[in-house]
Amino acid sequence: MLELNRLTSIPERFPLSCQWEITCRCNLHCVMCYTDCFNRPDMIRDELSTNTILRIMDELADAGCLELCLTGGEPFVRPDFFDIYEHAKTNGFLVTIFTNGTLITEEVADRLAALPPHRIEISFHGLTEQTFEGITQGKGSYQRCLRAIKLLIERNLPLVLKSTAMTINREEILAIKRYVSGLGSVEYRLGEELRATLDGSNAPQRLAIPESEWLEIKQQDPELWAETCRKQSQTPAPCNSGMRRFHIDAYGRLQLCSGNRRMSYDLRTGSFREGFYQALPTFACDFKADVSTLLIQVSAVHV
Amino acid sequence: MDKIYVKHADFVQREVAGEFLLIPIKRQLADVNSLYVLNETGAALWHRIDGKHSVQEIIKDCSEEYEVTVEQLEKDFNALIEDLLSIKAIQEAPP
Repeated sequence: MLELNRLTSIPERFPLSCQWEITCRCNLHCVMCYTDCFNRPDMIRDELSTNTILRIMDELADAGCLELCLTGGEPFVRPDFFDIYEHAKTNGFLVTIFTNGTLITEEVADRLAALPPHRIEISFHGLTEQTFEGITQGKGSYQRCLRAIKLLIERNLPLVLKSTAMTINREEILAIKRYVSGLGSVEYRLGEELRATLDGSNAPQRLAIPESEWLEIKQQDPELWAETCRKQSQTPAPCNSGMRRFHIDAYGRLQLCSGNRRMSYDLRTGSFREGFYQALPTFACDFKADVSTLLIQVSAVHV
Repeated sequence: MDKIYVKHADFVQREVAGEFLLIPIKRQLADVNSLYVLNETGAALWHRIDGKHSVQEIIKDCSEEYEVTVEQLEKDFNALIEDLLSIKAIQEAPP
């Protein structure tokens, strides 16, 4: 009665996976951050309350949502973070946390280990204190982040470290990748996207490494180079946001994805089902194909 | 067949697109891409495991609701119990 299988019965459009930016608050001010512009008292006051988050989360669960990514800002800055997290876990969500790691103390790590996340991803943009804190603009953040990595590894929590390549850290990207490969089961992910800030400034994009220089760096690493060649030889896949993935911002607005907030449905006043099934399909996206593609990769053990 | 089982608090049951999933919340999934999925009979049996009713009573209850022979239900339930015990989703209720 036990067999290995895949979740094959998920409809083409189904609210399987949610990325939820539960706050724009953050204890750091990374130079390329697109949410930090809303890390200010008047905007923070307008963020969702604990009760509203839990109510919306219950609606997500009722609609069948399984994967929940809690991001920010810095999620651990919210005083009610564990109320939100534990509610998600005990309601059977597979929870991923995106964090800068600097607020993960021994006590926090123990609480996570008691109710482990599906995955925890830490932004790790520099291998030296100078570069790291040049990006985060937070004194002491480098050592606190290293402490978090150690605490999570000690507890065997599924950890991913990720960097965004920028002019500031271009000399350290390959060294970060090598450092992570020496950490055993920890995964590494390199991001290249620098987004305009939520209030419309293109300042982060000025930190982009010129294409020719970036290619030279990637050529030095067989994996990065293979990935680059693979991407260059392929036609980009059409965007599938809104099909099985969706985004909720810190103010309860349902959107296609984190990178496309042009249109929203207000979950404070409307229901999630109406938002997902009636509003979202009408939202514009420049990268959508006429015919959607399958995206689920999850396999399943059938009991 | 007169054994009574109790669910382990470590598992939460979710319904996702008509599939009944068992999600371990205090342990990591053995494989991050693998989930435990109950088929329809499995879900019906799982719902009835309550630490009070014996295997025999549950099978009798199910046989009145589903058009399945008692023999088939016994076979399915025994397989399910074995699987659930192996992943520590249930345990025998204390006497």
